[in-house]
Amino acid sequence: MPKHYRPAGKKKEGNAAKFVTRTQALRLLQINLPLFRKLCILKGITPREPKKKFKGNDKTYYHVKDIAFLHHEPLLEMHRAIRVHERKIKKAEAKKNVERANRLREKTPKPKIDRIIRQRYPRFVDALGELDDCLTMVHLFATVPAIEDKKIGVDLVTECRKLAHYWQAFIARTHRLRKTFVSVKGIYYQAEVEGQTITWLTPHALQQVVPDDVDIPTMLNFLQIYQPLLSFVNFHLYHSINLKYPPMLDPELEALALEIYALIRYAHANNKPTIPETSQLVEPEQLESKLDAPEIQNKKSELRLAQLQHQLPSNEPGALMNLVEKAAGEDGEEYDEETKQCKNLFQNVKIFLSREVPRESLLFVIPAFGGMVSWEGKNAPFAESDQSITHQIVDRDAQGHRFLSREYVQPQWVFDCVNARIILPTENYMVGRIPPPHLSPFVDYDEEGSYVPEYAKTIKHLQAAARKEVLPLPGVEKDLEDPQNLLAEGIIDRAAANQAAKEKQKLMVLEKQYHEDLKKELQGDTYTSEGSTIKDKTSTEVIHTGESMKVDTAMLISRKKRKLLEAMEISNKRKQNKYDTIIQRKKKLDEAQNQSS
Amino acid sequence: MVELDNQKEAPLPSDYNEDSDDSDNTQLSDESDFEDSSADNDSDSSSGSSDSDSKSELEDGPPAQDNSGGDSEEAESQDEDDVKSEGGSEGSDLHQEGGGAESDSSEDEVAPRNTIGEVPLKWYEDEPHIGYDIKGKKIKKKEKEDKLGSFLANVDDSKNWRKIYDEYNDEVVELTKDEIKIVRKLMKNQAPHTDFDPYPTYVDWFKWDDAKHPLSNAPEPKRRFIPSKWEAKKVVQYVRAIRNGSITFDKPKEEDDSYLLWEDDSGLTEKANHLAYVPAPKQKLPGHDESYNPPLEYIPTQEEINSYQLMYEEDRPKFIPKRFTSMRSIPAYENAMKESFERCLDLYLCPRVRRKRLNIDPESLKPKLPNKKELKPYPISCYIEYKGHEGAVTSISVEASGQWMASGSSDGTVRVWEVETGRCLRRWEIGEAVNCVTWNPLPGIHILAVSMGQDVLLLNTGLGDEEEQQRIKELLLVDSPKASDETGKKAPSVTWLKDDNHDGIRLRHLKTVTSVEWHRKGDYFSTVMPADILFKSVLIHQLSKKLSQKLPFNLRGLAVRSTFHPSRSIFFICTKKTVRVYDLLKRKLIKKLDTGLKEASSIAVHPGGDNLIVGSKEGKLCWFDMDLSSKPYKTLKCHPKDINNVVFHRSYPLFASCSDDSTAYVFHGMVYSDLNQNPLIVPLEILRGHENSNGRGETSFCDIVN
Repeated sequence: MPKHYRPAGKKKEGNAAKFVTRTQALRLLQINLPLFRKLCILKGITPREPKKKFKGNDKTYYHVKDIAFLHHEPLLEMHRAIRVHERKIKKAEAKKNVERANRLREKTPKPKIDRIIRQRYPRFVDALGELDDCLTMVHLFATVPAIEDKKIGVDLVTECRKLAHYWQAFIARTHRLRKTFVSVKGIYYQAEVEGQTITWLTPHALQQVVPDDVDIPTMLNFLQIYQPLLSFVNFHLYHSINLKYPPMLDPELEALALEIYALIRYAHANNKPTIPETSQLVEPEQLESKLDAPEIQNKKSELRLAQLQHQLPSNEPGALMNLVEKAAGEDGEEYDEETKQCKNLFQNVKIFLSREVPRESLLFVIPAFGGMVSWEGKNAPFAESDQSITHQIVDRDAQGHRFLSREYVQPQWVFDCVNARIILPTENYMVGRIPPPHLSPFVDYDEEGSYVPEYAKTIKHLQAAARKEVLPLPGVEKDLEDPQNLLAEGIIDRAAANQAAKEKQKLMVLEKQYHEDLKKELQGDTYTSEGSTIKDKTSTEVIHTGESMKVDTAMLISRKKRKLLEAMEISNKRKQNKYDTIIQRKKKLDEAQNQSS
Repeated sequence: MVELDNQKEAPLPSDYNEDSDDSDNTQLSDESDFEDSSADNDSDSSSGSSDSDSKSELEDGPPAQDNSGGDSEEAESQDEDDVKSEGGSEGSDLHQEGGGAESDSSEDEVAPRNTIGEVPLKWYEDEPHIGYDIKGKKIKKKEKEDKLGSFLANVDDSKNWRKIYDEYNDEVVELTKDEIKIVRKLMKNQAPHTDFDPYPTYVDWFKWDDAKHPLSNAPEPKRRFIPSKWEAKKVVQYVRAIRNGSITFDKPKEEDDSYLLWEDDSGLTEKANHLAYVPAPKQKLPGHDESYNPPLEYIPTQEEINSYQLMYEEDRPKFIPKRFTSMRSIPAYENAMKESFERCLDLYLCPRVRRKRLNIDPESLKPKLPNKKELKPYPISCYIEYKGHEGAVTSISVEASGQWMASGSSDGTVRVWEVETGRCLRRWEIGEAVNCVTWNPLPGIHILAVSMGQDVLLLNTGLGDEEEQQRIKELLLVDSPKASDETGKKAPSVTWLKDDNHDGIRLRHLKTVTSVEWHRKGDYFSTVMPADILFKSVLIHQLSKKLSQKLPFNLRGLAVRSTFHPSRSIFFICTKKTVRVYDLLKRKLIKKLDTGLKEASSIAVHPGGDNLIVGSKEGKLCWFDMDLSSKPYKTLKCHPKDINNVVFHRSYPLFASCSDDSTAYVFHGMVYSDLNQNPLIVPLEILRGHENSNGRGETSFCDIVN
């Protein structure tokens, strides 16, 4: 009897029993492909890779247990109910019974996602760990134009926008933002929440184009789970800092598309009573009378207070924020070292944004690092004419009045400061100049064979200098830019050390080779002197180098390992090539510069 | 009817123009008059116009009868006409002239009307005129303004929207406000006349003055004062239905608010799904090159970008770094949606497999080998070159003492060299390409076995002292008649002949002999004839008795090489795919080694006797440990071309292979006496520098001497 023969009525064994193809799964579940896909997306079920693909390599395989998991899903029944309901609506419409159709439409059963979310992410940390895609998607859909044809409704977009802002407000409030990066694709943010590193991408605040080759329903399916997920996560986070969720926003600010600012302010205002109010005020006599009130009032009145304070002179919310910051900084029980560092980065900085800079992003980043920020427009916390402003973010040559008391810098300065965790000298970022290169904070320079751009080195020097200084104030560490001075102080960054070590090694290898060559030559001489009748061997006749050894050992290992080795070598070579091209370009650029200068 | 006609003939606006001038009533009366007068005119005038004929005929069906009455009326109408405005009279004039339109008086004042009737206007498209007036004169087309001019005029004119171009008469007509009103009313399906009131105030024509009694004198019914029973019934019905549950209300709309979902999740450690859950890998974080303002060295030059076009599509970099001088100038990323979508696809369509990330040094994959220096001595470089052969050297062999070396070449010569000096001691012209040369392994007997073509020659090299020479000569003595006797009886596979030219014995075989191998005692030697398909392909000869015998084994394959065990009476025959091991005493097969090669070409046995190597034509080298298994212990793919020969060193743990690619590999092959320890194989050196000739490449038998 052949091995594969299975008598009728006998159970399947092995992979054939454990896995089913997609078509089989569809037949088992009695649903169509789009619904199956939707369920898979919602439940987080992915195809599996059986060891042996019993139906061929071109098939997709699902685990039987996964399919059983779907089979018992109430969502399946719910979708059947929805289908029936849709048929009713259709019928009502066909009979021109508009009223009934509308009523039915309102009564369409809605699947509940919360149970599924709990199932997929049993712990809050799990949910946080997989929040990257969710955040990226929600942020993307917050900028997509609402297209009714493609089922991207206005509600959806506004909902996404809201959720994104709630999230950002939390991050800014708790100073969890760690890294930012302005790329061509958008702005990357990295935050650390409950030990999880969360990175997300926000598109630039420009109109997105929805291409035709993108299947929007699939993305909407994902959004169907991502939206509630983010909402629940937000709720949990807000709950953890004693805030109501969803937050109530100042309608005026909301109308001005300044939700993020409104949110941050809301968060600050509502958290205030937990903080002792013995701090120094910027304008004590002005605020004191108002601040007595919230101490006695309970939470519900706080929002109104915040709104009240908002109606006070323009300077005040900023002052309030500052107060909260300071108070929180003093007790600082919940903050770890890094958060504190982040929080105090822009402590002494008061920033004003011009019209042309990306306001939404900066309004998020600057408060997240403890800075005060204002902008041009209604309801701004302080006006442009405020004398205490230290920096103004400008992206084109200012035509109007220039204040001598402040520095005019490009927005990149903020992002670079954030990544370097120090306040960088501003002269490179002046308006009208091409700013220094914006480097990615996600590159690990310790990794072998990574290229360290020049500006990264200078930033490292600056950082080292700032650490030594007692007072990290802007504009002080200018004298430390001299690299020789730094070297003398023993501050050599690791990458440089690596480089030096490598070069030393190279030199040693070269030296060795030279010695060997020398030895060989000597031997060759003795040979020739010994045998007079023997013809002189020429060096071209026999070639034995280090390479031969390499070839030799490779054939001893098994084929699997050999293939692996080859793949590794190829990838290493590719990396090296990349590195080499960059070095070459750099050389060329330097040459060109030298020639011109 | 009249109005309809008018509409056809003359444009609508002008018609209404008149309406606005005159009151309705008067107009109606006018028209009736006109009809009459026209009828009269027709009857009176002899020259009736063809256009109006039909109508007049219809009316004047019985002309004679009507005449009297008509006259009287005519008189009246004439009077009225006189009394009335001049327009009326002119209208009648117009009729007499035979104008198609029963139009009103004011029309002809405007311009000559077109009379072409309802014909397609394209008939006149190419003509200079648009039609004919009443008198049959051509009406010239007006000069058209150019578009720009008309546009400018239109822009300036605030009343432009009211203007309509009349194609038939080639003129622009401006509608008055009232006309517009009428048009609007018509569009709404209302009565067109502006002063028509659809909802006039009700005029109560009944006279109530003398009504003293109400219309009905019935008293007010009771039901108007008590609550309705029917309604109460209905209410009760509904209430009962609601109580029964047969009427259900729509549930209030549920707001899906978020709540504290993970209220207490500290106890949970596992995922609910019992299958292994693999979280999706995170997306790659961007490097410097994705920055909006990357360092200059990250930006490829134009040449490099162009060169990307030449690459394969898979190899082409997906992202080309770009530089923007300010954040303001960053455009929207066009692939944002697409990349997000692709990520989605990855998330739900890709099987997730946990792969071990091999974070290992590639060097660690290579086996730990002892340092090559410890394995010395082994040949490293070319020491001597023995020059003299004109063709490819096919085989070499070193004498037992190590002083002499014999070489056979395809130029038909065999030479004996002194190993140390490279001096050519002797040279035999055999005349046929030599396949194999081998020394007799005994130190005293300097006999060289040479195979060429179908013959095997046993040559006396003339080395050694007198005593040894004597022994050799005795050995090489052969009786030719004895051999001839044998030939008479049956066809022998081998004939022993005396070879006078070279002072030795010639063994004539039936097929080509490729290899000759001596037994360790120097008395027996075996020859292999791969061309012999029958099992006679391997022969064993005894030198002392000048006997040849066939092996009584079925080989199941073409024999390629054969060799003797170095210490026991075991014989190895290498066929193309297997190595067969026979016990010569018991005359039976001991072992069959499966090489897994396509075509083996050479075999060598380790001096210990338990290991052997097989070289193949696909460049693979198999090491067999016969105690271990019948499968190769190790297969080395070292040569890109055929391996010609493999050999073990007689005393050192070395072995070598030589190949058509004009290289020879030297390996360290240590066999331990401890049976638990596997043999150690270390590749040591590649010897290059052999010249290629004859296309096939020089083949050399590499034997390691020192």
